[in-house]
Amino acid sequence: MDSVVSLELSNQGKNQRTYNFWLELLGNLRRNRSAVTGFIIIALLVVIAIFASVIATHDPLLPMFGLPGETPPLPRKAPCIHLLGCDVEEAQHLMGLDLNARDLFSRVIFGSRTSLVVGVFSVSFAITIGTLLGLIGGYAGGWIDNIIMRMMDVMLAFPSLLLAITIVTIRGPGLENALLAIAIVSIPQYARVTRSSVLKVKEEEFVTAERSLGAESWRIVFVHILPHALTPLIVQATLGIGGAVLEAAGLAFLGLGAQPPTPEWGFMLSEARAYIFTSPHLVFFPGIAITLTVLGFNLLGDGLRDALDPRLNRD
Amino acid sequence: MSTFALRRIAMTIPVLLGILIVTFVMLRLIPGDPCRAVLGERATDEVCDAYAERYGLNKPITEQLIIYLGRTLRGDLDVSFRFSRPVADLIVERLPTTLELAASALLFATLAGIPLGIISAYRHNSAIDVGTMMGANLGVSMPVFWLGLMLAFFFGVVLKDTPFALPPSGRLSAGANYAPFYAVWGIADSEATASSLLIFLSRLNILNSLLTLNITQLLDALRHMILPAMAVGTIPLAIIARMMRSSLLEVLRMDYVRTARAKGLSEYAVVLGHAVRNALLPVVTVIGLSFGALVSGAVLTETVFGLSGVGRILFDGISARDYTLVQGITIVTAISFVIINLIVDVLYGYLDPRIRLE
Repeated sequence: MDSVVSLELSNQGKNQRTYNFWLELLGNLRRNRSAVTGFIIIALLVVIAIFASVIATHDPLLPMFGLPGETPPLPRKAPCIHLLGCDVEEAQHLMGLDLNARDLFSRVIFGSRTSLVVGVFSVSFAITIGTLLGLIGGYAGGWIDNIIMRMMDVMLAFPSLLLAITIVTIRGPGLENALLAIAIVSIPQYARVTRSSVLKVKEEEFVTAERSLGAESWRIVFVHILPHALTPLIVQATLGIGGAVLEAAGLAFLGLGAQPPTPEWGFMLSEARAYIFTSPHLVFFPGIAITLTVLGFNLLGDGLRDALDPRLNRD
Repeated sequence: MSTFALRRIAMTIPVLLGILIVTFVMLRLIPGDPCRAVLGERATDEVCDAYAERYGLNKPITEQLIIYLGRTLRGDLDVSFRFSRPVADLIVERLPTTLELAASALLFATLAGIPLGIISAYRHNSAIDVGTMMGANLGVSMPVFWLGLMLAFFFGVVLKDTPFALPPSGRLSAGANYAPFYAVWGIADSEATASSLLIFLSRLNILNSLLTLNITQLLDALRHMILPAMAVGTIPLAIIARMMRSSLLEVLRMDYVRTARAKGLSEYAVVLGHAVRNALLPVVTVIGLSFGALVSGAVLTETVFGLSGVGRILFDGISARDYTLVQGITIVTAISFVIINLIVDVLYGYLDPRIRLE
């Protein structure tokens, strides 16, 4: 009887603590201006990506040749907004037309899908492999840890963009390979973050207690140790998505990422870069889109880190 | 101190070896036949047999690895398929442009980043602080090539015909021809008789203009370097400013700073003399780590500004799928990265005795 009561009590206490933790985190985040700004940007971006087909005014892949209201010459035509005094007879294009006379606004809108997909998928891939490696290395210790971490050191010795370039050059250009390359080069960050959390809690009494109760290693690692690594991993992943979007844009700029006619911001910049002096609108808008996206994830990541770091709460 | 340096050097050897092994393994991961990936689809069987013979591709894998390691350590990085010349020669030839760009960018980042960080920390939560941190956030979020394009547009088009206009491409004005320092000094008459080291140094325009006291060349080279250096230097600048700020904020709260104030030292002496000196330590590491950002920045911006450096040939090599060139540049940069970090670490241990005693 006694033991049942105490078990219930301890469960209650545990639930309460978890509840408070998330509530406090949310409270901290709400008070953090950069986190709120970042969150709003990302939320907007997600909405735009989901409803791209509703928001876009045209088909992002369709050249505007021979359509009503389109007066030639069409390629690289400057923006035409009726509210800002553009001739009403003329077809409206919020960001103008690109090199192939496609509506730039619609392409920028659809580009959000590509960027989010690259960011989220490459980080998910990297975080899965990186966390596994970090858990194994940190928990096993000894030579296994040594081999894993030295491998990570070697990967970190390459500037990440160059390593990604090499991987994509080998595997051939394309969105999937760019995504894979970005994922591979960011594995070490997650492995390191996880490993340091594992090392911190591995010697704690609750782990020893669990082991003495006869729990299997995988159970200790995944059920008891992994949750302690989650918060730094969330911060790293949020910042990582921003980094991945930036790297994907760089690879696409070099012609290694998304291939035409996919609407992708980095590739749009690459196509338009020769026309910066004559048609700057082609370069403005995709660049602003990339910057805002990366800024959103960076702000949210920084805000999360501050909200999760108890040392900073006093400020 | 020397044991610390030696231990640190010993630790880099496995990493250097690892870099070479990773690049070796990558060569084997090329789908299909490495010969045709390197020499092109239309390479005949005889050519490929000769290639396999020459690079030992028909030998067992461990033997291949040893041959590869020996070859790379001797500085033989294979022949570029796109340029039909040894990759090592190409890199040495194009390096001065990239080196000058990276050094200018780093100088810009350090000279602007450290003062901005100091002011932000000292005037914590002031308008300058908030503005700098917002600028830093924006700086790390921008694609470097886009920033380059925007700078070229702003200074080359919008400010055209004003005194602030800057040339958006090239290293020197078109048609400009300046005497190399070895000719001025009378060491060698022409490029044909000069040693490769002299040619290398003379291609560093800013250095050459200083060595020949040629003000026209100096101003010309600097004017052309401002925009690319700003573009490439922005990310390191943002990182340095942030690091300087957070590090100084921490130091300013320490007791010894209060003591310094209590004994009546001027604010100038307290902040710049006492606090900044200690706060600079982590910034040194960050400056070393920004090498990666400088290299990626150079690769992505040299094309934008029409600079024919290592980044530019890498760009050309990528579009031609010139595998050996991409690999050669990757190896060289990774090794330089490791060596720079080694130097920074040793320097750090020298500056902060706590590190080397650990």
